[in-house]
Amino acid sequence: MKRLFQILAAAVLLAGLSVLRPAEAQTIDEILSRGTINIGVLVDLPPYGILNAQQEPDGYDIEVAKLLGGYLGVKVNLVPLTSPNRIPFLLTNKVDLIVATFGITPERAKQVMFSIPYSAIENVVFAGKDKKIAGIQDLKGLRVGVPRGTVQDVILSKTLGSAVKLARFDDDPSTYQALLTGQVDAIAETGLTGDKFYDSHPEGGIERKFTLLQQPNGITMRKDQFNLHQWVNTFVYFTKNNGELNALYEKWFQKPLPNLPVF
Amino acid sequence: MRQLNLGDIEFLLLAARWTILLSLYAAIGGGIVGLAIALMRTSTKATLRWIAIVYIRIFQGTPLLLQLFLVFFGGDMIGVPLGPWVSAVLGFSLNAGAFLGEIWRGAIQAVPRGQIEAAKALGLHFVPRMLRVVLPQALRVAIPPTVGFVVNLIKSTSLAAIIGFVEVTRAGQMLNNATFRPFVIFGVVSAIYFVLCYPLTVASRRLERRLALATKR
Repeated sequence: MKRLFQILAAAVLLAGLSVLRPAEAQTIDEILSRGTINIGVLVDLPPYGILNAQQEPDGYDIEVAKLLGGYLGVKVNLVPLTSPNRIPFLLTNKVDLIVATFGITPERAKQVMFSIPYSAIENVVFAGKDKKIAGIQDLKGLRVGVPRGTVQDVILSKTLGSAVKLARFDDDPSTYQALLTGQVDAIAETGLTGDKFYDSHPEGGIERKFTLLQQPNGITMRKDQFNLHQWVNTFVYFTKNNGELNALYEKWFQKPLPNLPVF
Repeated sequence: MRQLNLGDIEFLLLAARWTILLSLYAAIGGGIVGLAIALMRTSTKATLRWIAIVYIRIFQGTPLLLQLFLVFFGGDMIGVPLGPWVSAVLGFSLNAGAFLGEIWRGAIQAVPRGQIEAAKALGLHFVPRMLRVVLPQALRVAIPPTVGFVVNLIKSTSLAAIIGFVEVTRAGQMLNNATFRPFVIFGVVSAIYFVLCYPLTVASRRLERRLALATKR
């Protein structure tokens, strides 16, 4: 048994020594010389990131990521992430940056660095036509569905506290479904996807009530990637001006890119 | 939103590869760790018993999801990036080892004490005593709970999604987010798990019956 432990300990030590840390792409030059960029994307948030009919990642974010790679002149390696694991993947150097509909907030900026906004997400409250809901205060006493940990979850719990009964779901489809099947009275969700979903289920009699917020999203990097950050900002600025970002936005959202404030 | 197509179902079936491979590696790795833990747990040496007990307490007392997370991202934190495969196999094996170890300890202890004493009286040392006397009898007791655990293990491989694996459950979620057809998609996902798990249960029952026959008087 003692021998077994010695062998095990040696194996662990060897593994530790032989696997050296891969080069961390912190600067533009490092990414250029490597020839590839690893970009984290979501594939479960239509129309920002979805699996298309060929089961490949597609959507606004994915096309922005490919455009970015094109301007950089390197191969894009898309890494599908989920909302809970996108920050750990970024912070442990498993991806170089993420284009994942990540809303810019001071809280998140303590951990990561955001580019200037390249897209916005519209958060809308949906409910049945018979319900009178015109503003956030009208949600008091109602059961409201939200996807767990999202911006709308935070806003509603902060503004209304215990006056609203929040039902937190694991993903967007469950949230939309819950309103349709009457498990909740209202939901706060992505406007465009909700429109499409409830248009295809007219029997539910569900409509838009009001816009909760318009949230600008940034391309996200680690806090020390200043060099890359400057290039990404330049990329967003340039493609916003030459109309390329707008063309992508029109393709996926059928409306022009909203006015995105910069910082 | 787009329509569900045949390619999507194929995508789900192909994703089952990862579920099968993960389960297989986890069962093998867990079996090796589990056997070591079971033997340590039933050892006459107090130190070995205590190491096994602490190990079991830690791995049974913390969530598998967190263990996977710690192995995968923790490796990078201390400068030893493990990659998704090594992390998944390591995480699942360490966890399964704790549960299988405890199951097999019970099975070993269910072998009547007299059998071990008789083996000792015949001059059998640890290895032949275990291989020829104790483990064959323990095996019979161990089969149903072991198979039950492995069936559970197959279903818990879905947790590997946190470290980037697109196995059957995650693939289903991704498709549902694009097509909004939960009943069809998760119906197929459930059917895939059933096809993987049911034969195991049947095989377990057959094996049990055969072993029971062998010891029938």
